[in-house]
Amino acid sequence: MTTSSYAIELRQLRKSFGSVEVLKDVSLAARKGEVISLIGSSGSGKSTLLRCINLLENPTAGEILLNGETLLLRKGKSGLEAANRRQAERFRSKLGMVFQSFNLWQHMTVLQNVMEGPVRVLKRTKADVHKEAVALLERVGLGEKLYAYPSQMSGGQQQRAAIARALAMQPDVMLFDEPTSALDPELVGEVLQVIRALADEGRTMLLVTHEMRFAREVSDRVIYLHNGQIEEEGTPDQLFGNPKSDRCRTFVSSIHS
Amino acid sequence: MENALDLLALQPPGWGGNLLRGLLSTIQIALGAYALGLCIGFCGALGKLYGGPVLRWSLEFYTTLIRAVPELILILLLYYAGTDLLNTVRGSMGWDRVDIDGLWAGIYVIGFVQGAYSTEVFRGAMRAVSNDQVEAAKSVGMSPVMMHRRIIIPLMLPFALPGLANLWLITTKDTALLAVVGFSELALETRQAAGATKEYLLFFLAAGTLYLLLTLVSNLLFGLLEKRLRRGEARVT
Repeated sequence: MTTSSYAIELRQLRKSFGSVEVLKDVSLAARKGEVISLIGSSGSGKSTLLRCINLLENPTAGEILLNGETLLLRKGKSGLEAANRRQAERFRSKLGMVFQSFNLWQHMTVLQNVMEGPVRVLKRTKADVHKEAVALLERVGLGEKLYAYPSQMSGGQQQRAAIARALAMQPDVMLFDEPTSALDPELVGEVLQVIRALADEGRTMLLVTHEMRFAREVSDRVIYLHNGQIEEEGTPDQLFGNPKSDRCRTFVSSIHS
Repeated sequence: MENALDLLALQPPGWGGNLLRGLLSTIQIALGAYALGLCIGFCGALGKLYGGPVLRWSLEFYTTLIRAVPELILILLLYYAGTDLLNTVRGSMGWDRVDIDGLWAGIYVIGFVQGAYSTEVFRGAMRAVSNDQVEAAKSVGMSPVMMHRRIIIPLMLPFALPGLANLWLITTKDTALLAVVGFSELALETRQAAGATKEYLLFFLAAGTLYLLLTLVSNLLFGLLEKRLRRGEARVT
């Protein structure tokens, strides 16, 4: 198998905050179209892992590859930093990030939020982007909310808008950082439905989540992180149905109940 | 009462025209100084937040010193010392002495003072922008310059505006200090009118009213601006 059949590849990633090592030598690779869920208790390093991929956190060591291209890194104050700012920005533009607390820009309408990246970063024309943005927002069920500001919407609506914003960049990989953790329980379903549709259409996705049932349903592969290491990985049925390690078994059963 | 209206008449022998000309000078200086102060303040804030140690230390020195010394002294110091310095430099280059135009001197001096205060206002406002908003900008691949232009600056303005509105009002009143270096803005014109007619109460009340009107109009404009800048925020009733 050639390297480039992987959409995203992480090699021996390490991350320390001061003297605390949060990620200890984590390697993982996602084939194109693969949906991988990262699970684990809080503090296991799963969010940090995701945030290292687009350098929102600077890893201490390791390699990051996107479609076989290595992200150029050099030693900096807070760890490995982008050696080539433009390359890092290009990487980020191809990695669609969805945050736990939505992070929609508060001073822009939903439509402006979705159009901002394609127009400003990808330098596409407003007319083109407008059409696509409206279509995307309709797809996530926000056709009526184009001109609403984030503060006027529910958490579920905001998160769906944030997903549309990430999709508008036509990313190669979608990164979800606990996308439903900040939502009221009754709003979780509508967001999961959107994510499920993306998984079904064959997008490459890395998903940090506490929604075990959802992870089991949509993932091709599930990775259980413990103390900054991959403790166990496998198909959803293996990992949830017949976990090999005791820790993973305990974690899965405690969540399932 | 008739006497008062005659004294305030716009045409001589009334002094109203002088007062209005004084007000116009006051507004001119205040606008110029405020604009200069905003430029210095914005650059100063960027320097304090992202600059190297030497730049940060220099800016800290500037803001601390300017904010520590009374403005009257700064104005006297910068005006006279500034003129001297300029002419010494010109002299050493073999050029003639110049008299600095009062308007520009006033703008530079007050602008320089305002810059120190607005540096702190901008710095605080930029730090108040939520990191979530910044991370979202990074995650779509924005460059640092674009991120500031499109995200950080629009989001920090609502935080900066109350402080900046205060600074504007202070600027309009600081212009009165220029009377001591003989610049005929509203305060000096008022003093001259009062001195000539011995109607101190009338003229100082009239000047006070003009300053008050300036403040009221400013408040109205800043209110509209704030509404526009806070358009995306949840309405608090």
